[in-house]
Amino acid sequence: MMELFFNPKSVAVIGASGTPGKLGYVIVKNIADSDFAGDLYPVNPKSDEILGYRVYRSVSEIPGEVDLVVTALPTPKLTVATMQECAAKGVKAVIIESAGFAEMGGDGTLYQKQLVDIAAAHGIRVMGPNCSGIVSRNIVTSIYPMTKKVPDGNVVLIGQSGLLAAGMASDIVENESLSVSKVCSIGNKCDVNENDLLEYFGNDPKVDVISMYLETISDGRNLTRIAKRVAAQKPVIFLSGGRTEAGAKAAMSHTGSIASNAKIVEAAVRQTGMIMADDFTELKDFAKVFSTQPLPRGNRIAVITLAGSVGVNVSDLCAAHGLELPKLTPETTDQLKDLFDTPVGNPVDLYFSVTKIGFTKTLQTTFPDAFRDPNIDAAVLILAGFEYTQEAVQKKIIQQIVKDVGKPVVVCMIVGYNRYKHVILDELGKDLPVFPSLISGVKALSKLCEYGSRRYKASA
Amino acid sequence: MATAEILSKARDQKRTVLTEIEAKQILGEAGIPCTKTVLAATREEAVSISEGIGYPVVLKVSSVDISHKSDAGGVKVNLADRAAVETAYEEIMASCRVYAPDADIEGVSVQGMAAKGTEIIMGMIRDASFGPVVMFGLGGILVEVLKDVSFRIVPIEKADAIAMTGEIQGRKLLEGYRGQDPADIARLQDMLVKLSDFVDRTPGIEEIDMNPVFAYRDGAVVVDARIILSP
Repeated sequence: MMELFFNPKSVAVIGASGTPGKLGYVIVKNIADSDFAGDLYPVNPKSDEILGYRVYRSVSEIPGEVDLVVTALPTPKLTVATMQECAAKGVKAVIIESAGFAEMGGDGTLYQKQLVDIAAAHGIRVMGPNCSGIVSRNIVTSIYPMTKKVPDGNVVLIGQSGLLAAGMASDIVENESLSVSKVCSIGNKCDVNENDLLEYFGNDPKVDVISMYLETISDGRNLTRIAKRVAAQKPVIFLSGGRTEAGAKAAMSHTGSIASNAKIVEAAVRQTGMIMADDFTELKDFAKVFSTQPLPRGNRIAVITLAGSVGVNVSDLCAAHGLELPKLTPETTDQLKDLFDTPVGNPVDLYFSVTKIGFTKTLQTTFPDAFRDPNIDAAVLILAGFEYTQEAVQKKIIQQIVKDVGKPVVVCMIVGYNRYKHVILDELGKDLPVFPSLISGVKALSKLCEYGSRRYKASA
Repeated sequence: MATAEILSKARDQKRTVLTEIEAKQILGEAGIPCTKTVLAATREEAVSISEGIGYPVVLKVSSVDISHKSDAGGVKVNLADRAAVETAYEEIMASCRVYAPDADIEGVSVQGMAAKGTEIIMGMIRDASFGPVVMFGLGGILVEVLKDVSFRIVPIEKADAIAMTGEIQGRKLLEGYRGQDPADIARLQDMLVKLSDFVDRTPGIEEIDMNPVFAYRDGAVVVDARIILSP
């Protein structure tokens, strides 16, 4: 059934518009600009042609089958009427983007109930209402104009809020910061919920990482069951809204008075092996690390830095996030001894080596030697914005070393943002996970190590 | 199958609160060790049951209408002989009749006096979205002040129970701190799994408190228990 949403052969857009800027126009244009190669049917009683497509007065007027209907109608009442038409037409998948339903309470709740009843009676799956549906290579139903094609990547994002999911998708696609394949916004979740998508993406071999933001949890018991299975195979990054202590209900037992929504959600995350994110940036950041880096077997980190003071700070952050900085093996220190005045430690302070043989050469020798050390599972590479850093990035020296060594790395940028932000954060950021602060990089790496260690133990 | 009988009897009586005796019978049947607890309807029964269990004993009022037994003066502990049990019985009855004149009092529960162990709390609640959830923590002051507890969604496996006991801040206290006996952590984990199994297969349970549970070097026992049924 979910295939009808993601790979429909025919799509009708109800509330399509020929006026640029209107939502009903953006949706048609987004679908037209995607790789969707099936039949596109704009529906509007008052138009004849939109973006070169013939417009139909109603769903029932469309010849042939309609796999997916996308609606963006001004009133809930019209939406309910359209659902009835869809049922009569035999449509099995509907994305309802319009707001004004259960999120408003009152009549909105009643209208949503009507949608659910029609869907249940006719076996229709409904995404939404109050959502922006899907942003993918094959189809884009969101109301944010897309400027580039969605990459055919290995990450999917699941969100509730339509604007947020659509906006995040637009940013990611525009600046190529994350290799997504699909971004879904499921809004009020009157039918299709996170469990449907988690199961679907869990079974999709092209999806390596799932990142999910929920304001409400539809069915936590099932979520726990499904997430446990999926997270054992691929990372599931999870951000939950409404994690408040106030969630504790009036209970008769001691246990009930201590239990809160926040604690139960945290327990579910631990129990299932999902990875908890604390904000939207982390949803993307963690997904970037997980989707581009191999899984480490443990938490032993080499910190590579040009400045001793930075190394101290990173060491503290690593300790606070459960990462270890072991000594390098004597073989490695011996190999590197000519480049350093004092025996090389961890953090690996490149300064002496740079003064002797220059930055690029240092990167090519010291970094891979320390990184390859058998005591090391992963590395934090700290880059300052200088001319020679730019050169190393543009010649893809760092990217090549990381690829050759085959262990996970995060890059943290310090200083030089004014001139080199673009080359380090954006350009290198397309190939590797690059962070604008030490703490964000260390935290993301700690999540990778936590998950990697768990998977390694489970497989051992 | 005492559990089914107790639950259907409570339903028939439109009760959502089970007595301690009922709660312990149900938990005992689920494989969770509880202190031996027997109902005595008269003073003479209280004595003969006490002698069967062996002194010292604890007497607690047994009434579906009195849930705060201590507040009602309905709990007497460390009763060492026949005379102490007789006096305690009379005092409990007198005090509870004053505290709750309309309460239906079926008698007292007579319980063996468990040796003091590491104080543990275990419990279960039903979350609207996640369904039954089990809890583990250190009891007494630690749960009151620090809320040092861990939760898991039912059903749990052994690995989850191991994570639950290992996750609390005060886990060192379980391992035996400053000469205190270590707690039988494996037994506690086993009890958590049995609690989870029980609520997973038994619909209609809203909340459970096992507070305190005393854990020893070898074994653990539920000293007080409370079960609330779903309305």
